[in-house]
Amino acid sequence: MGRKISLPMLILAIGGFFYMLLPIVVVVLAGLTAGDFLTFPPKGLSSRWVIAFLKSDSYLSAFFFSFKLALMTMIVSTILGTAAALFLSRSRFFGRNAMRAFFLSPVVLPGVVIGFALFAFYISTDIGLTRTIWGLWIGHILYSTPYVIGTVGAALASYDVSLDEAARSLGASPWRTFRKVTFPNISQGIQAGSIFAFIVSFGQFEVSLFLSAPNTEPLPIAMYNSLRYKFDPSAAAAGIFAITLVIASVLLTNRLVNIGKLLDRK
Amino acid sequence: MNASQFHRAQPSARYQRQTKLLLVIPLAIFFIGFFVIPVGLLFTSSFNPQVIGQVAVTSELTLDNYIRFFSRSNYLMAAWRSVLLATIVSLVTLIIAYPMAFVIAKTENAARNTFLLILVLAAMQLDMVIRIYGMMVIFGDNGLINQMLVALGLTSPDAPIQFMYNFLGVVLGLVQFSMPFMILTLVGVIRGINPSLEEAARSLGASPQRTFLRVTLPASMPGILSGSLLVFALSISSYIVPALMGGFRVGVLPIHIFQQVAEGARFQFGATIAVILFLISAGAVAVYLKVGARNSGGLA
Repeated sequence: MGRKISLPMLILAIGGFFYMLLPIVVVVLAGLTAGDFLTFPPKGLSSRWVIAFLKSDSYLSAFFFSFKLALMTMIVSTILGTAAALFLSRSRFFGRNAMRAFFLSPVVLPGVVIGFALFAFYISTDIGLTRTIWGLWIGHILYSTPYVIGTVGAALASYDVSLDEAARSLGASPWRTFRKVTFPNISQGIQAGSIFAFIVSFGQFEVSLFLSAPNTEPLPIAMYNSLRYKFDPSAAAAGIFAITLVIASVLLTNRLVNIGKLLDRK
Repeated sequence: MNASQFHRAQPSARYQRQTKLLLVIPLAIFFIGFFVIPVGLLFTSSFNPQVIGQVAVTSELTLDNYIRFFSRSNYLMAAWRSVLLATIVSLVTLIIAYPMAFVIAKTENAARNTFLLILVLAAMQLDMVIRIYGMMVIFGDNGLINQMLVALGLTSPDAPIQFMYNFLGVVLGLVQFSMPFMILTLVGVIRGINPSLEEAARSLGASPQRTFLRVTLPASMPGILSGSLLVFALSISSYIVPALMGGFRVGVLPIHIFQQVAEGARFQFGATIAVILFLISAGAVAVYLKVGARNSGGLA
């Protein structure tokens, strides 16, 4: 690491990483503990809670519900977000930054408020979205699309537009230009964006709070409902599967795009 | 290439603009239909008289809900508590996250750097409920820390230290939630600091500490500012952390919204609290965008 990082700084940073990661390690240990709950020192490892999770109706169905919802969200967010990112990177007009900020805003605005607004909207318009997977889907698309716009936007920022112009001047239609020239060049950015969209939807809590119902319960809501009353280690076992999914998605993202570069732009 | 072909290959600027517009129209319609209109209706309903169980927006306008909010001390206290909480969380997160961001930014080994960033991204993307589960195991009354303290004979089993179900618990949880966002904001800025500035200070005889305090820290001020605003906006909006780490005993605005609507069916008053939370959060975001724009303007 060299002399650029002083020892006190390094110690503080290690402490910080410890605080950031310890809860996640603890969930894995709690899901694998042999005891009824995690104790110090631990009682040894067992797969009993993982098996309990795999046999439980509520967590397993919530897990698959979240998976399905995240896939549905990913598909729409990727299409809408990629198209919008193309528009934002190719157009120069007054208010372009405002439009970009508008499309990115759901990420930082209160999810409870957006969820509540959609909930009231579904009830008062009565268009059959109240407490359905479709209503949740819409809320999740709002929250996942900004990540696609950000990631694809970063890929487009380093893309040479003159390639497109060359294709167009040689007579290719806009659609053909996109398919044969632009898309192959930014496809890794699109894939990374869609993984982001998937995982953001999979972990979404605040928006789902108002929009879910007992038969349409994503995993975070199901875990929350059980954690309020009892401390169930099979929830931690469900957490192990979610952690695996997140780590796999981040590793995959890293293979597709340079994570460090993604950061420089933000 | 003959003239007509050339003409076809170079479509008019207007045609190009129209084709480009087709790209953004689907998302624009989606956002107007499911974001602008619902939030607009929510704003409107906060000006409707409170009728329990009624959701639909009416044309009857009143300021009663806002008068109620600003004249009841428990709602004002909730707003104050939310702002105080988010401010404390921003400061604590900054102090913990800065050294982490500094180490990541200064790690030149590419593989090591990527590894650290992967850890941060994985922590950020993991569902908060799962992370809170881990925090409850650590900080609970029978949690790992209290078990350790009892084992060491420092506390008695009947009087555990209460880390959770109070203001402290919410801070502990929100800091854990916010750290990755702060780190990612800071890494970009610290990395953007011209290394020759630090080298110049060192070669002029400044100690590493002095170089850090006089050069690096001031130069990372834009990141500190935008990271803190981002964390403020994110933590004031959190429902799950105050609910589980505070055990519903720390009444912040998101908790009040859910209680008014889900338990009391008071949609109009719930909407009023929602509007107030939305405006506080949007205010922080607006400043964040301004700071961010100035940053990139300065760097570019």
